[in-house]
Amino acid sequence: MKFFQKLSQIDRRWIYLLVALAVIVPLMARMGLPDAPGKYSLQLFDAVDRIPPRSQPVLISADYSPSMMPELHPMFMAMARHCLARKVRLMVMTLDPTGAGLAENGLRQITDEINARAGSAADSAVYGRDYVFLGYKPGTAIVMMSIGENIRQAYPADAYGTPLDSLPMMRDVRNYADIPLVNCIAGSAVLNYWIVYAGARYRARVGGGSTAVSSADYYPFLQSGQMVGLLNGMKGASDYEFLNQQRGYSSAPRVAGKGMDAVSIVHLLIMGFIVLGNVGYFVTKKSAQQKAGEE
Amino acid sequence: MFSHDIWVWIAAVLTLAIFSFLYKENPFYRFAEYLFVGMSAGYGLARVWNNALVPNFINPFWAALTAERGATGPLLADPRFWLIVPALLGLLYICRFIPSLSHLILVPIAIGLGLGSGMGLAAIIQTDIIKQMQSAIGDASNVAAGGWPLVWGIVSLVGVLTTLSYFFFSREHKGALKYSANIGIWFLMVGFGASFGNTVMGRVSLLIGRVQFLLTDWIHVIR
Repeated sequence: MKFFQKLSQIDRRWIYLLVALAVIVPLMARMGLPDAPGKYSLQLFDAVDRIPPRSQPVLISADYSPSMMPELHPMFMAMARHCLARKVRLMVMTLDPTGAGLAENGLRQITDEINARAGSAADSAVYGRDYVFLGYKPGTAIVMMSIGENIRQAYPADAYGTPLDSLPMMRDVRNYADIPLVNCIAGSAVLNYWIVYAGARYRARVGGGSTAVSSADYYPFLQSGQMVGLLNGMKGASDYEFLNQQRGYSSAPRVAGKGMDAVSIVHLLIMGFIVLGNVGYFVTKKSAQQKAGEE
Repeated sequence: MFSHDIWVWIAAVLTLAIFSFLYKENPFYRFAEYLFVGMSAGYGLARVWNNALVPNFINPFWAALTAERGATGPLLADPRFWLIVPALLGLLYICRFIPSLSHLILVPIAIGLGLGSGMGLAAIIQTDIIKQMQSAIGDASNVAAGGWPLVWGIVSLVGVLTTLSYFFFSREHKGALKYSANIGIWFLMVGFGASFGNTVMGRVSLLIGRVQFLLTDWIHVIR
């Protein structure tokens, strides 16, 4: 009884300290908790995995900013690694002005890794043949609808000013009918826009990744088949990194995977806090009622 | 052991300054907060200027004004010239700060709302209502699927109907409607619980991102 009373008056800074320890210790100790990719992560991975190499390109829209990097940037890296390792052509664009730099740096890092390992020109990742970077375009819904008519309306040229028709892989790409999968990685409602405008209006197959905070909003679309798959926050990113390594597409260090031990331990800690808080609430309430009855 | 990169040091010190708020309010936190707000606003302005205004308005509009008219026809026939219309409509937002003209802000707002509704209405009804209804009814009546998919389909449909009944305020919640609304509350609680769990994961992920930065890029304790 006294224990719960004391617990209800505890300085919140002790809780912060416990959360900090629950993050730092697993990160340093590398507990190696087992990975179990979620259903919707697997669906998205398989959707990319089924696209034939050197055929029509996948579109990734990197619609996130630096504030969402820990969750969303590893998704982008894992997805782009998967595509380029399988020689699935890749178009990268962004509807977030700060996403352009992140996506461009990520692409450069991945293509540098691939080209450093490549034994021949066929194995390397060549700009214009295997991937293009379209850059940032303002207008969200209007950009999505323009791509549905003709991608050249939204992007007459890539991010470096090269006309799309000059890029070999873009010559046969006209609209969503030529794009087997649209992946949006976003921490805002932009993914919803892709489902509405690209998915419903132009029948594009839409998948993507979102921050954990907004993921719950997209489960109805997964259930109704309006999305092919979803990466949910850091867990989704970790799933994709795990699948990439398991299927031999990447040996790069798992950035999100490293954080998952800490996520699991912090979740356990918070669940413990919730149970303790509720037990304490009911115990102190009962004792207060008993006291009132005695008086 | 520590990074030799001055920018990593600046980022690490500012991260610690922000975290110091967890102990108590202090001048280091205030400094980092104001710096962040100021830099975000400045960076955002520069990005929008360079990535949106210059390539989409200033460059084409200037090109239209300075083009040799013999080859491209009269100025008024040049579509790039007419970019001035959306630019002026955008400028009307600034009227908000001029009391005598503040009503003009309604013009771009009305155009934006009309454009958004016109573009999205049909697609949103299709995406958020018709497809969702099809899915809810389809999953609950797909006897061929059998087993758990059918059970979950029925649970899902019951959840949809009872939750909707909770938001039905045209009749007093008595009798069957009361029971239905109470069941709906349970489904809502499960939904809120799932959202809360995801929110915790999201916030913890952001903390992990900063701690990983401190331990990996700054102190080099983990690789």
